[in-house]
Amino acid sequence: MHYLATLAGREDTGVDPGTPEFDAEVAKYAAFEERAADAVAGGAALFPSADAMHVRRAGGRTLVTDGPFAEQAEVVGGFYVFDAPDLDAAIELARRLPAAEDGTIELRPMVMWSPHETPRGDWWLALLWEAPDAVIAPGTPEWDAAVAEHERFGAKYAAAVRGGGALQPPSSATTLRVRDGELLLTDGPFPEFAEVVDGLYLFAAASRAEAAEIAAAIPLGEHGRTEVRRVVDLGD
Amino acid sequence: MTTGPAGIDAVYRAEFGRAVATVAGMVGDIALAEDAVQEAFADALRTWPERGAPANPGAWITTAARHRALDRLRRESARAVKEYDAVVARAPIEEAEVSPVADDQLRMIFTCCHPALSPPSQVALTLRLVCGMRTAEIARAFLQPEHTVAQRLSRAKAKIRQAGIPLRVPPAHLLPERLPVVLACVYLVFTEGYFATSGPSAVRDELCDEAIRLGRLLCGLLPGEPEARALLALMLLQDSRRGQRRAEDDLIPLEEQDRPAWNHAAIRAGLACLESAAADGAGPYLAQARIAAAHATAPSWAETDWHAIVASYDQLLRYSASPAVRVNRAVAVGFSRGFGAGLAALDEVADDPRLAGTHLVPATRADLLRRAGRRREAAESYRAALDLAANEQVRRFLARRLAEVEE
Repeated sequence: MHYLATLAGREDTGVDPGTPEFDAEVAKYAAFEERAADAVAGGAALFPSADAMHVRRAGGRTLVTDGPFAEQAEVVGGFYVFDAPDLDAAIELARRLPAAEDGTIELRPMVMWSPHETPRGDWWLALLWEAPDAVIAPGTPEWDAAVAEHERFGAKYAAAVRGGGALQPPSSATTLRVRDGELLLTDGPFPEFAEVVDGLYLFAAASRAEAAEIAAAIPLGEHGRTEVRRVVDLGD
Repeated sequence: MTTGPAGIDAVYRAEFGRAVATVAGMVGDIALAEDAVQEAFADALRTWPERGAPANPGAWITTAARHRALDRLRRESARAVKEYDAVVARAPIEEAEVSPVADDQLRMIFTCCHPALSPPSQVALTLRLVCGMRTAEIARAFLQPEHTVAQRLSRAKAKIRQAGIPLRVPPAHLLPERLPVVLACVYLVFTEGYFATSGPSAVRDELCDEAIRLGRLLCGLLPGEPEARALLALMLLQDSRRGQRRAEDDLIPLEEQDRPAWNHAAIRAGLACLESAAADGAGPYLAQARIAAAHATAPSWAETDWHAIVASYDQLLRYSASPAVRVNRAVAVGFSRGFGAGLAALDEVADDPRLAGTHLVPATRADLLRRAGRRREAAESYRAALDLAANEQVRRFLARRLAEVEE
């Protein structure tokens, strides 16, 4: 079973890619991955949200805007996909993530996941956010229609898409924090965000403009929003 | 007697949880097991009055439910082949009766109380799947609309399935952080029955009874866990006063209760449990049980062993930094070392932000001042407490006291 672990935390820590502090963080995650070994089925670290793009619908048009979204105290800093036999195994992995100590991790079972190679410098992450009550449940006719739309997108941009996945409903989410060594679990998605994660894509694009074009083609709910973020190149 | 609807209802109470736990263990799907057991009881209602009740109704229900579940798995070809094979290939269907196993119930309790489920879901699921309470009964007991409880139950079951919450007793290294969740769930069932003082009291009594039944079940399933016994001791000791806590619509403080009318059989059982728990370990429930025992064994309010109670509060504070515990400790300090000392102990916790906006501190201060004979200051504190108290019963109690000190 695949679980999406979305890592969220405050961004004002000054740990930006390219700094020694960032490299120290990366080393911690490398140690985590070594321990987690085969259970890691995907993941990426993200550049700060300052240069994010957002795609949404407005008056029947698709609108792309720049910059971080609203005034959120916490933002998504990266994600992992775990291949784990059950929720307990996924929790055991997530609680060892360095982000668990100073941020929040949301664990969501996935309906599907297409794995990817090691992220490169020209990769982007598209996080699909949706209003909680607008989320479509798997197995419904609306779901099948949405899947067909995503298949059309996938076929059109097959050369760019590097990976992606769909999630079980937000009610199946568990959020997790570790404070003073104590594991704290909460039933449900990130309490910090008004919207819920509804899916994700990884894709390659040579430029910001090309990334915006691809992101704008990703199917989007009437109340949804696509957050586009640059992926940190962690390859050697 | 077991053949009529009333008799079958008694079997339902006793056997529903065990049957669901056992069938769920076999088919790996709680919702399927629950439906199958429900159908097995429908079969029983149809056939027992004609043919007579079986010698072992629990085994009959479990076997019938297992057949029902297997039939369903066979019919639903869309279901995972793996699931079907695991059940069907393991044993031929025509085998002898299946009897529920205690381990299955323990697995079910830990699954219902998984920390990834919210506490209200844990409680509702445990009452439904372990105690066999019907949705309508749970709704009545918690004074909630039935559809709210039904929705909570179906959401929790969907989460167990979708999120892959395992149906098992957690491995040894997780037990220390998982058992407290289970004990907290059982105690929550109890306190909901014992401390919630509005609504149809008969149903609330049922929650106290279910919690004690769950406590006994846990003690039997986990004989090596002294905290399970300590929790049972705590519940039995508190429960011994249940009948004396309420008069009409008002709360009677412990001080004014009719002690000979307490349930002394429950006190004896609680004390025996406490002794056995204390011999094997220490923990937050043991400390709370000791406090309850000191009250239960005191010949009168004045002759209560307040030193022992303060010592137990100090123990309790090692496990929980709860400001409410410190407030209660301040009261006990007042009785054991003088009300001035109690007020000083209260001052130490009064600024805790977690108590801001509650009537707890001013009400406690008012009580200590009243006992110290400082009536004018007490009246002031009662007024401050009245400004903050939201519960009608509490307000009536505070107003009564205010009138006393204003006389």
